[in-house]
Amino acid sequence: MTETTLDEQLQALVGRPIGEGGPAHAPDPVNQPMIRHWAAAFEDANPVYTDPVAAAASRHSGIVAPPMMLQTWIMATPKITGIAERGGSPVEGGRVKVLALLSDAGFVGTLASNSEFEIVRYLRLGDEVSAETVLESVSPEKQTRLGPGHFVTWVTTYTDACGEVLGRQRFRILKFRPVAGPS
Amino acid sequence: MTAATSVDWSSLTVGDALPELVLDVTATRIVAGAIASRDLMPVHHDRDYANQQGAPDIFMNILSDTAYCSRFLTDWAGPDAFVRRLAIRLGVPVFPGHTLTFTGEVTRLTREHDEGLVEIELRAVNDLGEHVSGTATINLPIAR
Repeated sequence: MTETTLDEQLQALVGRPIGEGGPAHAPDPVNQPMIRHWAAAFEDANPVYTDPVAAAASRHSGIVAPPMMLQTWIMATPKITGIAERGGSPVEGGRVKVLALLSDAGFVGTLASNSEFEIVRYLRLGDEVSAETVLESVSPEKQTRLGPGHFVTWVTTYTDACGEVLGRQRFRILKFRPVAGPS
Repeated sequence: MTAATSVDWSSLTVGDALPELVLDVTATRIVAGAIASRDLMPVHHDRDYANQQGAPDIFMNILSDTAYCSRFLTDWAGPDAFVRRLAIRLGVPVFPGHTLTFTGEVTRLTREHDEGLVEIELRAVNDLGEHVSGTATINLPIAR
């Protein structure tokens, strides 16, 4: 029996899907109520999101979803009870292994640092979105202004019901040990 | 406010500045963005929880940042714009009470068949410094 270090355990996960159970599927197809809610929250008056007549007259030839909603469609339906105790994880169980390893090692803080979207096509009402996320890298421990931490980078590929790629996203978060954190 | 008509690609020049987007950031704005993007992380709506994490207040989530960046681009470029790429890096956080100002500049113009590509460098600054820095590519139809 050999003891593996945290770094070895983290590196063993690189190149693999971050979750178990295959791709994530959007709880609902692309729909006007969620788009309207989003456009109102960000006060985005682009008529191609909410005005069928203006959208039809545009290059998009109809309503499209805001491109940056891509990540929103596949967010899990949250279970509110206990969400703070789960460190903000919206769902019970199915913990992302790389994040669980880091949290259990004391890196309980989470802060997003980079988001890079490549949009292949805009989504239309009724589109069904799936996403598969692969761990791209985990940095060695670094000193940050928030405390010591590891940068975790993953790449998500979004596809439609036919398996055609809708877009890709590289997302980087910092998992850190809060300096003034919970004692 | 999105322009009613879209920017004419052939009229653009490298160095053109995009119109500024200035946001008064309130707790309501932060919470509205977090919920609309379906990000229930408590640091974006629960000040006590944010305090436990070492932050003085709730702060804006990254999905709101990408949302405001795309709004900043299409407010200027208009309804015919396609956002093809957006890459951002976060710096200082955004807390209630801040003013967040987006600025951007055209850095490259290229043509692909009937489409004009526009590369843009953008940033958003608040009371603490640079919150977002990034690059984007949009494309526009070219009138024949």
